[in-house]
Amino acid sequence: MNRWLGLIPLAALLLCGWYLCQDYLFKGPVITIYFQNVEGLQENNSLLQYRGESIGEIQTLKLTADHQLVAVRARLDATATGLARQGAVFWIVRPELKPGSVSGLGTLVSGNFINVQPGDGAPTNVFTGAEKEPLAPIPGLELMLRAPKLGSLQPRSPVFYREIKVGEVESCRLGEDAREVVIQVRVEAEYAPLVRVNSKFWNAGGINFHFGLFSGANLTAESAQTLISGGISFATPTALESVATNGTEFVLNETADAAWATWSPAIPLQAVPEAMINKTPMPGLGTK
Amino acid sequence: MDQLVACQTCGLVQAVGGVPKDSVVKCARCHFQIFHRRRHSRARTLAFSLAALILYIPSNYYPVVSAEYEGHHSETTIFQGIRSLYAHQQYFIAALMFGTSILSPMLKIIGLVFLAATLDWPGWEKSRNWVYQIIRLIDPWNMLEVFLLAICVSMVEIGEIATVHPGRGVFAFAAVVLLTLLATLSFDSRLIWDSPADQKHYE
Repeated sequence: MNRWLGLIPLAALLLCGWYLCQDYLFKGPVITIYFQNVEGLQENNSLLQYRGESIGEIQTLKLTADHQLVAVRARLDATATGLARQGAVFWIVRPELKPGSVSGLGTLVSGNFINVQPGDGAPTNVFTGAEKEPLAPIPGLELMLRAPKLGSLQPRSPVFYREIKVGEVESCRLGEDAREVVIQVRVEAEYAPLVRVNSKFWNAGGINFHFGLFSGANLTAESAQTLISGGISFATPTALESVATNGTEFVLNETADAAWATWSPAIPLQAVPEAMINKTPMPGLGTK
Repeated sequence: MDQLVACQTCGLVQAVGGVPKDSVVKCARCHFQIFHRRRHSRARTLAFSLAALILYIPSNYYPVVSAEYEGHHSETTIFQGIRSLYAHQQYFIAALMFGTSILSPMLKIIGLVFLAATLDWPGWEKSRNWVYQIIRLIDPWNMLEVFLLAICVSMVEIGEIATVHPGRGVFAFAAVVLLTLLATLSFDSRLIWDSPADQKHYE
């Protein structure tokens, strides 16, 4: 009995060693993310998530020396080490209530958390946080529309072709000389052949109300959603011209011409290779 | 040779003659087993209290309770628990908690290690007596076990609303509770005033 007694303190030491291993060997890296605003995040509490699964925890929030940013230090789980790569985008998920879309409702009760879109560059520990959720990396046709005014358009407003949603507004800004509005639009790759250099775009948001002596009252709206969130429609003439390329500029008309509604070109939509649509990179994510 | 032995149960002092090997002595009055000195007392006390001292560090460093409530995630160490009591203006309870769950166990464990380690050092009798007095004084305030109970209660009671599980430190914590208990039980206070020669005799 007596000679085995030494094992008891030894076992205690081993347990301590196990704790230390868990702290330093079986843990992922500590990363630092710089955000402009960390409202709703809590030290030692808020989580990092990827695909709805917790991948780490926030340790500290600290204002940088110049008071411009907040440094968020977070400890990743060992299984999520592969997410800490260059090109990864971190953003804070907050509850959002916007016309036409509600998101992040879960955070009303759970508190805000940081979500990540993995990158595929070299491993790194320092990131700059994004202000908003990045648009899904679906390749598509990028177009520039110019309009005298914005109407009710906003980022994420839909783009329709025959009232089918084929794309989204990415960003809106004033033109270089502030005389017009430049709207950047992305049409999904699948529908890219629909856009020809002679296609016509018009603002499909809001309600158009016409009153004529002979035609009577005429009320048009594209869809219930565009009433609130705005939207863009386009049509392509029956006489097809070459397919629009990235960065092609169009004029955004305020209303549709009656003639455009009669256009009905036959455009074959070839299937886009799966790899092009779903190009979500998954670099070195360890199996759980 | 006859020895005077006091029964630890009923206190009767009785003379005990030479005891044959592998036999035990029972008290004349209450029939409980009596012994002159507990066997292997020093080695056991040293082993248990040393292990308790080692594990005392992780048990206070790591959280003992972790709760999850709708994605809210919080982990609490013993000290953080006391601090939040303090923050809620529960000064008296916070002080009581600090005394019974952090201060008193620490003093007791260190005291036991000290006693067991210095038992055969001549010239340390006075400090041993002193330390033993302190241990006797703080022992009633040593309520580490209460914390374990609190963890269990919160797991049962709040389990419906939030997910409460024992934190990483709870194993070390439970071990400290158990080891302190064992160390106290195996320590024979009569060893304190034995001379080194006597102790050799009883080992």
